[in-house]
Amino acid sequence: MGEIVLRSEKLNKHFGITHAVKDVSLSFEKGEIHGLIGENGSGKSTFCSMLCGIYPISSGQFLLEGKELKAKTLVEANRAGVSIIVQEMGTLSGLTVAENIYLGNEDQFIRHGIKNASAMNRAAQALLERYGFGRINASAIIDHYNFEDRKLVEIVKATYFNPRIVVIDETTTALSQAGRESLFEHMDRIRNEGNTIIFISHDLAEVIEHTDRISILRDGELIDTVKTSDVTTDDLKRLMVGRELGSHYYRSDYGEPISDEVVLSAENVSIPGAVDGVNFQLHKGEILGFGGLSECGMHEIGKAVFGASYNRSGAVRLANGTPINSIPAAIHHSIAYASKDRDNESVVISDSIRDNICLPSLDDLAVKKVLHKRKLDKFAVKNATRMSVVMTGVGQYVADLSGGNKQKVVIARWLGKDSDILVLDSPTRGIDVKVKADIYALMRELSKSGKSIIMISEEIPELLGMSDRILIMRDGKINGEFLRSPALGEEDLIAKMV
Amino acid sequence: MVEQHKEEKNNAAAGLYLKPWLRNLMPLCGLLAIVVVFAFLTDGRIVQPRNMQLILSQVYVLMIASMGVFMIMTTGGLDFSQGSILGLTSIIICKVSQYNILLAIVAGIVGGAMMGAFNGLFHVRFKIASFIVTICTMYLFRGLCEYLTTNGPIAATPDVVALNQTWLKLLLTSIVLLIGFLVFRFTRLGMDLRAIGAGETAARYSGCRPQLTKFFVYVAAGAITGFAAFINVIKVGSITGTAGSQLETQILIALVLGGLPISGGAKANFSNIIIGTLTYCVLEKSLPMVFPVSATQQLVKGIIFLCVVALTIDRKSLRVIK
Repeated sequence: MGEIVLRSEKLNKHFGITHAVKDVSLSFEKGEIHGLIGENGSGKSTFCSMLCGIYPISSGQFLLEGKELKAKTLVEANRAGVSIIVQEMGTLSGLTVAENIYLGNEDQFIRHGIKNASAMNRAAQALLERYGFGRINASAIIDHYNFEDRKLVEIVKATYFNPRIVVIDETTTALSQAGRESLFEHMDRIRNEGNTIIFISHDLAEVIEHTDRISILRDGELIDTVKTSDVTTDDLKRLMVGRELGSHYYRSDYGEPISDEVVLSAENVSIPGAVDGVNFQLHKGEILGFGGLSECGMHEIGKAVFGASYNRSGAVRLANGTPINSIPAAIHHSIAYASKDRDNESVVISDSIRDNICLPSLDDLAVKKVLHKRKLDKFAVKNATRMSVVMTGVGQYVADLSGGNKQKVVIARWLGKDSDILVLDSPTRGIDVKVKADIYALMRELSKSGKSIIMISEEIPELLGMSDRILIMRDGKINGEFLRSPALGEEDLIAKMV
Repeated sequence: MVEQHKEEKNNAAAGLYLKPWLRNLMPLCGLLAIVVVFAFLTDGRIVQPRNMQLILSQVYVLMIASMGVFMIMTTGGLDFSQGSILGLTSIIICKVSQYNILLAIVAGIVGGAMMGAFNGLFHVRFKIASFIVTICTMYLFRGLCEYLTTNGPIAATPDVVALNQTWLKLLLTSIVLLIGFLVFRFTRLGMDLRAIGAGETAARYSGCRPQLTKFFVYVAAGAITGFAAFINVIKVGSITGTAGSQLETQILIALVLGGLPISGGAKANFSNIIIGTLTYCVLEKSLPMVFPVSATQQLVKGIIFLCVVALTIDRKSLRVIK
C-alpha cells in the first residue's frame, strides 16, 4: 500500500432533509488514479464538491497530507493543491481562453495594478502547446470554441499548476474519442508525476481500463474500495446497484421485421451549417437509430422532426401528409422530444415536477379551457409513479433532482401525453446503469406497442443494442444505413462516421 | 464552521429549503408586522376606520395596474411604462367622457392595449430587453401626456366624478381581480406564464408559445392599466401632465413586497398582488404620521424596502432579467 495523500474522515453532507453523503471515510494514495463510481444521486459529485470547497461540509473533515483541508472556495482549494474538472461547463463565457486558464491566479501577470495581457496570452499559449492543444488560440474568446474544446481548456486550467489532487467529474462524455485519448494520456502523466487523480465516470469499461483502485458509493454511503485488477464490470454493477443486474441490458431479439407502415417522413430536410438534404422514413413500431460524430448534424435532425429548428428547409410530414412546422403542431400530432441539453430544453428546471409533466398535455387536461389543480396533481403523480421518479412529491422542483431522475421526468411527461412518435436525443447521457436499463426496457415496450422511436445517440453500443435500423450521418448527410443484425459490429458504423 | 452554518442559513433564507407554505406566508406576515408596528407607533390611529378607508382609496388603481405587471414579471420581464400609460389613457378617458362614459371606458382599455402592443412589439419582435423598451416608452408616453396638457389640466365630465363612490370602486377592483385570478389559476395561461419565466427555451420545447404569450401579456397589461385609468379619473376628476408618474416604481415595489421574485417564474403567486399593494399603501399612509418630515419618510421607506427585499428575495433564481 502506497503513501496516503488525502483522507476523508466521517464526512457528511445534508441538503435539508436529504442526507447526500453519509459518514464517508476514504483514503487516496499518492500516485494513483482512483475511480469513484455510483448511481446518479449516490453522492460522488457532492463528495468532490466538498473536497473542492464548492459545498460546505456538514460534518467530518478532509486531511491533505495529514493537515485538515479547509478550502471555502475553489480558488482556496487550488492554492492548497486540489483542482476539479466539473461535469457541467466550467469555463466563463465572454473571457478569453487565457483569462479562463488563469482565472483567480492573474496576480502573476499584474504589475503596478495593470494586467499584462500579452504575457498572459503567451504563457497560456505555451501551456496549450505543451498539452498538445496548440490549435486552440489563447487570446481568442472562449465562446469561439465548442463544448469539447472548452473541456480541453478546462483540463489545462485544472492541471497546469501541478496540483496534488485532480478531480475529473464525468468529463469524458463531453469528449470525442480523440479528446478522451488525450485526457487519458494526461491522466497517466499526472499519476507518473506522483500526483493523485479522482476519476468519476459512468462508463465502467473506461473506469476499469484507466484506474488503479475503485471506490463505490451507493445512497451516499461508501460500499467498498477495490483494486481494479480484481474486478469486472459486472462486479462493479452489482456493487453499485446492490443487486444482480440482468445480463440482457439491451434487447436480445434479431430479425423482427419492420412494419411497412410509414408514420413520418423527412423530405430533403436542410438546416444551414448542420444538415444537408436529408431524406428518411420512420416506420410504425420501429426504433430508428441515428449515429455519427457529435457535429454530424444528427442532433439537429431531432429538432427538425420536432418542428423546433428556426431555419429548416424541406418538409417533415406525417403519414397522412400533415406537415410539422412548429413545436405546438408536433406536440399536437403526438410527437415527443427529449433533448440532449436536458436542463435547458427538456425540462423547465426551476419549476415543479407537476408543471413539467403537465405542460405538454395542458390542452388535453383542460375541460372547456378550465384546468383543475386536483386533476393536474393526479395526472402528474400517475406518470411520475409510472416512471418511479424518486421525489418528495410532485411539488418538488426539478432543479433538485439528479440527472437520471430528471430524465425520468422528461419521459414521464411524454408518456402522459401518450405520444406515438418519440424523438430521444442521447436518452441515457450521464445516466447510471439502473436507470439506463429501465429506459431501454421502456423503449422496447413502447416500440412493441406500436410507438415509433427515433434514438439519436453518440454511444455506438447503444445504437447497435437497441435499434431496428441505424442511419449514420457525416457532415450533415446520411452516409450509411444498417439493419439490425448480430453480425453488425462497431467497426462497421465507425467506418461510415469518419 | 460558523461560516458554513451561515451559508446553510443563507440557503434557507433563499427559500430553497423553506417549506413552500411557509415561504408563501412570508409576505402576509410582513403585511401584518407592518400593520402592527405602525399601529403601535401611531397609537392606533392607522387602524381607525377613517384611515383604513383612506388607505383603501389609494389601493384601487395600484392594485389593478399591478395585475398586468404581475403577469409581465411572471414571464421574467419588467415594465416601467405603466405610469405613463396610466397618464395617457386617463387623458383619453377624460376627452371621450365628454361624449359617453361607457365609450370612455372602452377607449381607455383600447388605448392602453395599443400602448402595450407597442411595448410588446419592440420587446418580442425586435428582441430588445423589456426594461430598456419600457424605460424608453415611459418617456415617450409621458412626453405625449405633457404635450396634451400644455394648455392646462384636462377635466372629465362631471358625471364621471359623480361616480366616485367607495362601493363602486371596490366592486370594479374586485371584479377585475377575480377575473385575473380565475384566468391565472384555471387556464393554461397561468401555467404558460410561469413556465416561460422559469425557463423560456424549455417552455418552448414543452409546447408553449413564448413569443405570442409575451406579446399578449404586454397588450393585456396595457389594457388593464387603461381600465385602472378610469378609476383614476373617477378619483381625481381632472388630469395633469404628471398623472400616474411614479406609478411604475410603486407597482414594482408593491409586487416585490408581496413576494413576487424579480425574475418571475414558478414561484409567482396571485396573492403577491393583493398583499403587496396593501403593504405598500399601509406604509405610504402611515409613514407621514410617524415621520412628519418628508426627507425622513423617504429615508425610512428606502430602508424598509431594502430590508424586505433582502429578507424575501430568492437568490437561487436570480438571473438576468429579460
